[in-house]
Amino acid sequence: MPVIEYKCPNCGSGMVFDSETGMLSCESCGRKDSIENNPDPLTRNVFSEDEANEYHCTSCGAVIIAETVTTATTCSFCGSAVVLGDRLTGKLAPAWVLPFSISKEEAMQAFKKWCGNGRLTPGGFMTADRIKGIIGMYVPFWLYDINNDIEVQAAGTRVSTYIRGDYRYTETQHYDVYRKIRLNYVKVPIDAAEKMNDELMDKLEPFPYDQLKEFKTPYLAGYIAEKYSYNEDELFSQAKHKISEYIEAYIRSSMSSYTAVTYANKQIDSRMAQANYVLLPVWVVHYDYNKLEHTFAMNGQTGKVVGRPPISKGKVTAWFAAVSGISFISLKLISWMMGGGFW
Amino acid sequence: MWTVLFFLAVLWAFPIQAAWGETAPAGQQAKQLIYDDAGLLSPAEYDELNRMANQYGAQRETDIIIVTSNNTANKDVMKMTEDFYDEHAPGYDKPHGNAVILMVDMKHREVYLAGFYKGETYLDDSRLNKIRTRMSPKLTSGSYKEAFQTYIQTAYRYMGFRPGVNPDNLLFTTWFPLLISVGIGGIVVGMMAYRSGGRVTVNRQTYEDSGSSEVLEAGDRYLHTTTTKQKIEKSKSGGSGGGGGGRTGGGHSHSGSRGSF
Repeated sequence: MPVIEYKCPNCGSGMVFDSETGMLSCESCGRKDSIENNPDPLTRNVFSEDEANEYHCTSCGAVIIAETVTTATTCSFCGSAVVLGDRLTGKLAPAWVLPFSISKEEAMQAFKKWCGNGRLTPGGFMTADRIKGIIGMYVPFWLYDINNDIEVQAAGTRVSTYIRGDYRYTETQHYDVYRKIRLNYVKVPIDAAEKMNDELMDKLEPFPYDQLKEFKTPYLAGYIAEKYSYNEDELFSQAKHKISEYIEAYIRSSMSSYTAVTYANKQIDSRMAQANYVLLPVWVVHYDYNKLEHTFAMNGQTGKVVGRPPISKGKVTAWFAAVSGISFISLKLISWMMGGGFW
Repeated sequence: MWTVLFFLAVLWAFPIQAAWGETAPAGQQAKQLIYDDAGLLSPAEYDELNRMANQYGAQRETDIIIVTSNNTANKDVMKMTEDFYDEHAPGYDKPHGNAVILMVDMKHREVYLAGFYKGETYLDDSRLNKIRTRMSPKLTSGSYKEAFQTYIQTAYRYMGFRPGVNPDNLLFTTWFPLLISVGIGGIVVGMMAYRSGGRVTVNRQTYEDSGSSEVLEAGDRYLHTTTTKQKIEKSKSGGSGGGGGGRTGGGHSHSGSRGSF
């Protein structure tokens, strides 16, 4: 049976991951089990390779409704936390997991506070009373280690100016510049879930990698988790694209003594040293406002909130008028002090 | 947003209109401030300019005077101006008082501008030069009425600024600070809207493995040097003619600017 549940050895209730203590805890009797020191039930099971298409809850026997990418969810009938084990083994086994450190209540509080801080968000939105749902989700990411060998040939110039007599002289020194650079990047994250908005996920970074744990299924208990939709080779071009601007900046910084450089020849050889499949914690908030659903995401470790809130035209106008008005009065005040008269 | 802008514009523009309305010489006898001996103006133009000179001059407590002459006596334009002041004894506050005079010599096609007392303090040589530079092209093309209007308005405007400051400073206009503030407002609100969705908080150092990354080889070969030179432009004093005040035969000190047209 590929469905895994975590039953409390004391009272038989379902156990879930507790973000505060980082342990598997029983909500009924309060028992807490260390995840790191106990064997993962996943390793004790052997699954057949072909994926099951129907899962039954081991508590109540109901069919678990899950999308094909779901790896952890809760039974919609009895609410037990279930992990779909066959979707987390073999090639689908994550190397690490970054457990949640922010609980659902904390996430709600943090989100409400964030809503209140929006200076351009409409007043009705700021009260944050229409949160439709908040879901703790482990989003699949690939963490790439990328080694780059770079060779650049460029024409560099150093410009200096000086004044002699009635003339301003501009002296330009021309150089032939060569750089050979080894530039390595580690754990560059790329979102591997099809349904997550890449732009949103990019803004959630950075994730505190020092909190990464070796993957064990109990971390997923009580949350939604997904498996990757794209493998490491399919997303490598995205990873390269992500670091390309960093590489450009590094190359330019290695030639910082020049006023201007034009590249004659630039060779960047990027190799994937390794790619690790990890699950990163994200609180996803669905919010109804003006009949539109807005989606926000919160980093499950740092609490950083991203997502585009609605913008109030009234507040934009007010801010614009206030900032412009104050600037205008200040400028006029300066001109008045200079002797220009106020009008 | 546009209503706010419009409101601001009206707010800033209105007091000027109001100030004008109050001090318009209602029933008060208009002084003769224009002496068109060369006959450059039609009667209607003359009336309009004379009214304008009275109105603007009252604001600055200075007589804004225009004299045109065919110069049959063949005198120097500066001497003509000084003699005019001594003989006619103009002045807003008293005879031989605050005045600014524009003398147009049609024979030699020369102009001279002179400021007396308050006119001398507020319209120094450099300001008179600026006024002359503004109006001279219009005199050259024969648009006398427009040239005289420019003279009256500019003299009035410059006298509103403390002596010594550059009256053409862009800050002293209304449109320039307004443009700048609208720009600032737009940028600030734009940034706020842009940042409301959360910002990317990783930089190029975040994922860089600095321990193993380095420049392995570097070559910097000097090739040659090119030098260009550019003449430094010295600011020239305005066009033909220049500044220079003096003292009239009657002992009245004045500022001045002369030039041909």
